[in-house]
Amino acid sequence: MSAVDEAAGPKTPGSKTPGSKTPGSKAAESENGRAARREAAGRGRRARAAMEADTGLVHRSWWTPYLFLAPGLVMVCLFSIWPFANTVILSFTDARILRGGTFVGFANYARAFADPGFWVAAGNSVLYLVVVVPCLVFLPLALAVLVQTKIPGIGIFRSAFYTPVIASAVVVGLIWQWVLRSDGLVNTVFLKLSIVSEPIPFLTDSTMLLVSAMIVTVWKGLGYYMVFYLAALGNVPASLHEAAAIDGAGTVRRFFSITVPQVKPMMLLVGTLSAISALRVFTEIYILGGESGGPGGGARTLPFLIRQVGLGFAGETGYASALSILLFLLTLVFSLLGRRLSKGDET
Amino acid sequence: MTRSNLTRTAVATLVAGTLLSTSACGLSGGAAEVEEAERTGKVSGGITFRTLQLKPAFTSYVQGVIDAFEEEHPDVEVRWEDVPGDGYNEKLVADAQAGALPDVVNLSTDSFQLLGDRGMLADVAKLDGALAQDYVPGAWEQFRLPGKGDGVYAYPWYVTPEILTYNRELFEKSGLDPAEPPTSVEQFFDHAERIAAGSGGRYAAFMADPKGRLPGDWQKMGVPILNEKRDRFTFDTGKAVEWVERMKDLYAKGAMPRESLLKSDDINQLYGAGKLVFGPGSPGFVKDIKQNAPQVYAKTRVAGAVTGTLGHIGIYAQSLGIRKDTRHLDAAAAFARWVTNGPNQVEFSRKATIYPSNARGLADPLFSDRGDGKDAETVARAVGAEQLKSAALDANTPVQWTNQVGDAVVREMQKAIKGEQDPRSAVKKAQEEANRLLADAAAQ
Repeated sequence: MSAVDEAAGPKTPGSKTPGSKTPGSKAAESENGRAARREAAGRGRRARAAMEADTGLVHRSWWTPYLFLAPGLVMVCLFSIWPFANTVILSFTDARILRGGTFVGFANYARAFADPGFWVAAGNSVLYLVVVVPCLVFLPLALAVLVQTKIPGIGIFRSAFYTPVIASAVVVGLIWQWVLRSDGLVNTVFLKLSIVSEPIPFLTDSTMLLVSAMIVTVWKGLGYYMVFYLAALGNVPASLHEAAAIDGAGTVRRFFSITVPQVKPMMLLVGTLSAISALRVFTEIYILGGESGGPGGGARTLPFLIRQVGLGFAGETGYASALSILLFLLTLVFSLLGRRLSKGDET
Repeated sequence: MTRSNLTRTAVATLVAGTLLSTSACGLSGGAAEVEEAERTGKVSGGITFRTLQLKPAFTSYVQGVIDAFEEEHPDVEVRWEDVPGDGYNEKLVADAQAGALPDVVNLSTDSFQLLGDRGMLADVAKLDGALAQDYVPGAWEQFRLPGKGDGVYAYPWYVTPEILTYNRELFEKSGLDPAEPPTSVEQFFDHAERIAAGSGGRYAAFMADPKGRLPGDWQKMGVPILNEKRDRFTFDTGKAVEWVERMKDLYAKGAMPRESLLKSDDINQLYGAGKLVFGPGSPGFVKDIKQNAPQVYAKTRVAGAVTGTLGHIGIYAQSLGIRKDTRHLDAAAAFARWVTNGPNQVEFSRKATIYPSNARGLADPLFSDRGDGKDAETVARAVGAEQLKSAALDANTPVQWTNQVGDAVVREMQKAIKGEQDPRSAVKKAQEEANRLLADAAAQ
């Protein structure tokens, strides 16, 4: 599309003088015909008809570009827009997995707000975000600054930090489970050293389970976001650091006064991305805390609750859809917050 | 077509799509009464046969059975399709609503009830009066439907009974007699208490796993799970509270691995590592241990399942249902009977750790041979078969105990077992929540 736009030049009716036309620009012209029409409807249409009459080389219909767009559009509509619209519709019904529902207005939403399980899950999701996002904004930056140094063998460190990203969530979960269980690595060491007298309930206490899951999420995200920061750090001009060093700024001062402001847009991006994924967390809690989501379901997050409500034979599709919409709204709020922050940064 | 036309078309399409979907949502599941097929006495025609996750492990066995049948009845053509276990029930019910059920269909305990309750299955007892004597009574009786008279709605196929597996060495260390395993839930808890007292935290007695333990444990203790009409849960009883109290007490004493309250998928590893006294209660597990932990296998003993005074045991039963309005009833019935006959079932159980539901099949010497009484796999086969012959009732999970009900009950149990909630109110809250879910599901 953009290549075509450029070939067409300025989008004014005046640029369409028949004599200056090549077949290439003709193709481009019909693409822009609609834009032109907006400015000079009647004249544009007449000019266009005249043009098509006198070249007659390539006949192009109005729908040709849509034909090219169709495969992508159909996919997006079928697998993103349509399911989304359907979820909104379903959230106002009492549909079940195998049974269509009837319209029930806001009953599902009212039920959610009255359901203590929903508030626990929403609270856990937000708590997850509040703890995980700062960790994932700052720790990978620190790591990136460390591995940015050009010393022999640094590639090994970079790869090592990236490894958890490649490992599947299930593998990561199982490893951490063996580390954190009551007879796992950490507890065995602590008990042997008499640091604790009872195993720490990393996986059997709702709050500790959430914390454990957060640790896994952060550990797994470190390498991923580190790569983002490495790219951003590469764009910080060396001259700035040089100038600051000449002015007598130390390493710490240069980090806060040069590096941080320079990578700030990236920090906001990382913040937004990690916030969205924090609100979607499911796997870590499922693997560490089992099907019930912690004892008594106390460590359930919103996606966890949605899955539990919507799955299986008695799956309450309507209610699960309403919960999904609430999760979407929550995500939207935090995304807009991130955008607002980045806007404020630009001005 | 102009641009405004295009917009109009787009909007119209969107609106139409939306309407279509809402009307699709509004499509109610109440299928009309299915008409019953008639016998013609002629075994012929093309029938479809759907199995539950038997490919690729048992492809050659199933195909062999089909080929042999087609040879005997050249007028019948059997089309075999195998469907994976995930979402099997959902697919069946969707097919039933669309009128696309196969003629002969492999059913698990819950899919049997789902189709049976909807009146989609033919009464096989009526098709063939002498059929009952072919099968083990316990298996045959399983396929009656409450409130639907004397009918039996499926041919029993392969079954796996619950058994008890335990580590002999750890039994002896705890001062327990390996020759006298527990036979009731209460005794099982007593054993666990002894084990916990002597283990010093090095091994646990059993997995807490409330999700897997319920409602089976309660049924064995004589707790009524549902009322007569099966439309309300009634498990809030003194016995159920007693169960929670004992679990709580045992959990505090370290009779169960801490994490097993939440998940029990590592039971094989724990048992195989000698960190658990009671292993899983399925015969297939014994085979796993033999392959993966030969040392522990040598110490493994097998006994009949914990049943209590009522003789309940859990039977995982597979069956073959006949579509009620099948076009080739005779062929379908003959085929289902063929697949579930003695020789074919015995052949199947030689290939997998399963048991025949066919009386003649179960009488095969393979299932009474205990060897020298030391090889756990051989004993497990004999013990399982023994139980199948005598077990009158089963402790299967009723369909009303859906995933959601199970989750809701388990959440309350977890809190109580951890000591965060009083057992009495935990059972009460569990029942309230379960009844709410049941009423919600029934209201639609």
